[in-house]
Amino acid sequence: MAGLAATLGSGAMTNSMEEVLKAKVILVIGSNTTWNHPVFGSLIKQAVKHHGAKLIVCDPRRIDLVKIADVWLQQRNGSDVALLSGLQHIILREGWEAKQYIQERCEGYDEYRQAIEFYTPEKVEELTGVKAADLEAAARLYATSGVAALYYCMGITQHSHGVDNVKACVNLALITGNLGVEGGGVNPLRGQNNVQGACDMGGLPNVFTGYQPVTNAAAVEKFSKYWNAPLSDKVGLTLTQMIPACGEAIRMLYIMGENPMVSDPNLHHVEESLRKLDFLVVQDIFLTETARLADVVLPGVSFAEKLGTISNTERRVQLSNPALTPRGNVRQDYEIIADLATRFGHTFPRTPAGLFQEIRDLTPSYAGITYDRIRDVGIQWPCPTTEHPGTRFLHAGKFARGLALLTPIAYKPPAEEPDGKYDLVLSTGRIYEHFHTGSMTRRSSILDAVVRTGHVEIHPELASKHGISTGDQVAVATRRGRIVTTALVTERVARGSIFVPFHFAEAAANTLTNDALDPVAKIPEFKVCAARLERVSGCGC
Amino acid sequence: MRLTIDGRSVEAVPGQTVLDAARAAGIYIPALCYHPKTGKAGRCRACVVEVEGMRGLKESCALEAKDGMVVHTATPKVMETRRLVVDLLLAEGHHNCISCQANSSCELQDMVYHLGVERPSFLIESEPTPLDLSSPGIVREADKCIHCGRCVEACQNGVVNEVLAFAYRGSHAKVVCDDDVPMGESTCVQCGECVQVCPVGALVLKQPRDVRIRPHETTATKVTCPYCGVGCQIDLHTKDNRYVFAMAHEGQWEKQPNKGMLCIKGRFGLDFVDSPDRLRTPLIRRDGELQEATWDEALDLVAERLKATKEQHGADSIGFFTSAKVTNEENYALGRFARAVIGTNNIDHCARL
Amino acid sequence: MREELSTAIESIAARYPERRSALLPALHLVQQHSGGFVGAEDLAAIAEVIGVPVSEAYGVQTYYTMFQRKKLGKYHLQVDTNIPAMLAGAEAIVNHLERALGITVGETTADGLFTLSTVECLASCGTCPVIQVNDRYYESMTPERTDALLASLRQGVMPDMPVVAHFHSECGVLMARRGMPNATDIDVYVASGGYRAIDRALEMEPAKVVGEVKASNLRGRGGAGFPAGVKWGFLARGTGKPTYLICNADEGEPGTFKDRQIMQFDPHLLIEGMIISGYAVGAALGFIYIRGEFAWIAEILERAIAQARSRGLLGTNIKGTGFDFDIIVHLGAGAYVCGEETALIESLEGKRGNPRLKPPFPAVVGVYGCPTVVNNVETLASVPFIIEHGAGQFMQFGTANNFGPKIFGISGHVKRPGAYEFPLGTPLARLLEAAGGVDGELKAIIVGGLSVPILTAEEAKGLLMDYDSCLKYGTMLGSGGIMVMNETTSIPKVALRAIRFYAHESCGQCTPCRQGSHTVAMLLERIVAGRGSRVDIDRVLQLCAAIKGTTLCPTGDAFAVPIEAMVTKFRAEFEALVD
Repeated sequence: MAGLAATLGSGAMTNSMEEVLKAKVILVIGSNTTWNHPVFGSLIKQAVKHHGAKLIVCDPRRIDLVKIADVWLQQRNGSDVALLSGLQHIILREGWEAKQYIQERCEGYDEYRQAIEFYTPEKVEELTGVKAADLEAAARLYATSGVAALYYCMGITQHSHGVDNVKACVNLALITGNLGVEGGGVNPLRGQNNVQGACDMGGLPNVFTGYQPVTNAAAVEKFSKYWNAPLSDKVGLTLTQMIPACGEAIRMLYIMGENPMVSDPNLHHVEESLRKLDFLVVQDIFLTETARLADVVLPGVSFAEKLGTISNTERRVQLSNPALTPRGNVRQDYEIIADLATRFGHTFPRTPAGLFQEIRDLTPSYAGITYDRIRDVGIQWPCPTTEHPGTRFLHAGKFARGLALLTPIAYKPPAEEPDGKYDLVLSTGRIYEHFHTGSMTRRSSILDAVVRTGHVEIHPELASKHGISTGDQVAVATRRGRIVTTALVTERVARGSIFVPFHFAEAAANTLTNDALDPVAKIPEFKVCAARLERVSGCGC
Repeated sequence: MRLTIDGRSVEAVPGQTVLDAARAAGIYIPALCYHPKTGKAGRCRACVVEVEGMRGLKESCALEAKDGMVVHTATPKVMETRRLVVDLLLAEGHHNCISCQANSSCELQDMVYHLGVERPSFLIESEPTPLDLSSPGIVREADKCIHCGRCVEACQNGVVNEVLAFAYRGSHAKVVCDDDVPMGESTCVQCGECVQVCPVGALVLKQPRDVRIRPHETTATKVTCPYCGVGCQIDLHTKDNRYVFAMAHEGQWEKQPNKGMLCIKGRFGLDFVDSPDRLRTPLIRRDGELQEATWDEALDLVAERLKATKEQHGADSIGFFTSAKVTNEENYALGRFARAVIGTNNIDHCARL
Repeated sequence: MREELSTAIESIAARYPERRSALLPALHLVQQHSGGFVGAEDLAAIAEVIGVPVSEAYGVQTYYTMFQRKKLGKYHLQVDTNIPAMLAGAEAIVNHLERALGITVGETTADGLFTLSTVECLASCGTCPVIQVNDRYYESMTPERTDALLASLRQGVMPDMPVVAHFHSECGVLMARRGMPNATDIDVYVASGGYRAIDRALEMEPAKVVGEVKASNLRGRGGAGFPAGVKWGFLARGTGKPTYLICNADEGEPGTFKDRQIMQFDPHLLIEGMIISGYAVGAALGFIYIRGEFAWIAEILERAIAQARSRGLLGTNIKGTGFDFDIIVHLGAGAYVCGEETALIESLEGKRGNPRLKPPFPAVVGVYGCPTVVNNVETLASVPFIIEHGAGQFMQFGTANNFGPKIFGISGHVKRPGAYEFPLGTPLARLLEAAGGVDGELKAIIVGGLSVPILTAEEAKGLLMDYDSCLKYGTMLGSGGIMVMNETTSIPKVALRAIRFYAHESCGQCTPCRQGSHTVAMLLERIVAGRGSRVDIDRVLQLCAAIKGTTLCPTGDAFAVPIEAMVTKFRAEFEALVD
């Protein structure tokens, strides 16, 4: 989000999902959409099958969308900046850029233009492994087919230079005039049902609700007054900064509905860190791997037992209703927080509606949304007044930032690259049947029956070199750890690469991953690190 | 604009079909192959009507309503056709409402009941086809298939998973998975869209079957899917405060982010809410073990430690992880707690992970 | 799949505006090169190359009867047992083959040499019985000739066997070159006056060509008799999309073998007709959708098209006028319903031959979503005469509202079954006389292909063979396929054979046709087997009455109407079987 916010002024999906049906060309990069956002994947497939949209897929893996793609660019893991800039180099060389749009709506062009010179197709081929001819074809398709939509996901952000990746996406859309138009945009697909909402609500160390900076005196004053309490104007630590600081700068953690013991990089280190805390509170619905380390565990309720709003990836605020009555001695999560606040002499609203009223009072982009208005169909923020219909796409006519910023970007390799010792590129991610740390999906009888254990995707050539077949037990090792899992021999993964889904705590992919962070967004580099396959004793391979 | 249906003046909007206009006015026209999500098909012939000034029978699902149109939905020829369709469909399959999961939520049953058909005119003996139980979440019963084609259209062109298709022809025509393999061995990704649109009991979910609860016994509540960021709107079907199954919410489906579709996780991955692993009471670590505690014990302890830590090390020595899986209201509440009660901006969540 | 095959499929796909159209050609091709069937692996490979889901490829493969999923014998003997063949003694040939091969229908001999099948009408009604061996026709078969055929096949030789075919051309328009040596050659065609009309046409404005055809009152010869010029006039204009011309050469209506007379013996006549028609309607690409069993006739057409192309009559800038036009011959694969124009279009697009819901009509949304005109072979072959000689000359043939020459196919119990070109409005009696007269005593007659109501001998008296007279006599001219039945014919058996045909051919899309045809077939089976009752006869009639007018395409009526007529008019014969 940092990349989007810096260049456009707003860190959210610029356009609506259904607008994909209006795009003439769709570029998907770093998103295995049909697995991770399957319903949106269907919309992409509809766009291609029924509406004649052209599809460009940029992914190191042969994901399902490749099958229907007009062009597939199989870039090396971590070389996205080069790839995206290479496309821009060709577009500018051919004069396909939206000259008037750039002039009227963007700034920083000259410096940016200079930086792009570096990314000749030949240079890009060297850095990404993508043939110059394919790059040329993709550039032509993207720039000359009409309105173009760009979708990305964690394949773009989970890198040591993820913010640069996002900015490269934005640059591409800007120079072709695809921001602020229906059917276009730069669209990050959110991986969890309320990532957008958690950000909107100020679940970030630098902003209050609606992205009002904690460093802004007026904002601090406004919130301070409303909450009737003094507030800090110092930017806090991110999750990925807090974990290593445990036992030192951080003495106590209060974790609500998160499971860093599976989701975070370099897990051995995570466990070590959490054990160093003076006190750990975990509020969850299951005794997760993280909760097992807690000093106090507070039982909340699941989505099915609560009323409240959730903001989806396209900024749509939707009302979710309670379908079940909580069982056992559990409390609504908002009640737990209110109960704690009481112990400090603060009075918090004890109903979702009461809390939502406060959100509306404090957050201009949510001000016009009421429970009544969204009972049937959600509304997309910004929605400043109760008469406002909501906003399908952002930046129409004017960017939230005023002028959009074209950013010069220098190519940086991944923090860790294969070498003699660790000869393979490891990337991690999700599979279709499971979700995140598996705490929900692995407790679903059908999903658990479909995929019971983790695996490592290995290219047939690599597999035959190691004498590995599907179903064999193999070990994957990195400088940080080693897991034993099951081999899945498939051409989905590139030669020289392996892929491990991270849902499975017993063979946790994040034991292996690199905790190198993006310097701005503090996102860990899950999508590339150096690894090797090892024999498992007694497996015969 | 207005048209006349069975002597009643009925309001219609441009682009609306005669079927939609009639249904909106509360006039029953059976339509077995038409579904708003899969569109007109012309297969079942149940929805035919007669229109003054037009020759022969017209499919009301495919006929655009026009101002001044005069429609008859119950002429002798129309009724004869509906009766024929019902008779033939009953002869073609093995429809047994007594044990059918779709009982009371079956469009063929509705049509038969409306027509007052007591017993079918033709009974054709044929060997029953075995159930296809091979897939993890879906049961296919070919003998109950009425060849409406909704599932095929939905699979090929809605979710575009392209697994279901019609094969063979004439009375041998049937819906197959890939090249006629059991669903569990096919490329099916278990999105369940076929079940969602099936008008009868030919495609049903296993979950209600396993607990012997028919869909019509359940209560549906609209929820937002707890998984990815698409925000699919789901009808969670429950009975006796237990989860039974999930269907995509179809109310105003065109305006919903998921357009009435779901994936395997939204369709089949929600029974964790009834998992025996669910936490049922607060826990406090005593002597190295997590032990059951009362809320007051737990909350007092947390409050006390928060206060002590803040006093000893300052507010910024405390960190909060909020969640991308809880509501906006709860995120807001924890944010307010961290900032206004504790006084730190050390709050974050797993957006990056 | 072998590299060359996928390259070949690629090059086929490149010929079509949309690559999915290559699906049927690809299935034919692979089947030919893979031992007569396309197995699961090959099918998946084809689906991959063309870019269709395996499920849909399988749906297409199993829709068409000519595609095999399993290996058959080296020689696939396919005996036409439809009504004209039945009247000509096909049953005896089947029995003879079963005895000679020691297998029953549907089986393959132990040595893997022969598979025996019965098939629907092969459009050899004038030269029945017919055995199709792989893709080759053996006509005018007798038990003796069948033995000779088997003996030769056992030696590994597909023999040449002469055919006894009768014909006569009274008008000299559509069958003018019949009997002429090498008439399929472009030089013979040109020397006998061919490709002259095209010069005239290209001098005219396209609209004038349409006008001339309109003025001629040429009515569609496929069966419905809709005026061709008027149909052309319905074409959507200014859509920005190309217009396509399709020649319907699916000739599948039992009793019909007229289009074959033109394509097999005078292919350039059709090609010239298509060029002119393409010019008139503004099409740059035409398709000849020809039934799969006619693969060998398709080869004749392909050769003729290549000749025409080499003379600059097809291709770009024809005769320097700037007019571009080319023709693709597209093989069907065994599906009667594909004779219906929207089903044909679906099939041409590489799909199951399911008729479309209308509207929209093909003139607005046809093949590939573009304006399309579909005309029958005989209709298109009439166009050169109209343009060369003028509408007036054309109207010299026939009677008011029923102008022009027409090929009548006469089969069944006549002494000289065959193809006869006479003006519309010719008395039926005159046609029967031309065909050598009825063999025995006339009992009943079907005059327009199997889908029209049967006439008793009494009813047929005085009938003129044109659209209006047929209507007046309670039947239809249809395709002009005349099936003659003498006193030895069992009408219940004819009815049963007829309904089995429709049940076999129903696309299965809509309820009344799919299950209605199946149910009527089961009732008639019971009746003919002597297990039925009078209630069953009434049920057949009730069903037919109810089905009429309810189906998605005309196929429902195509069986409900004739079966109802057979049962009603010959009820006593049916009752005799159940009493």
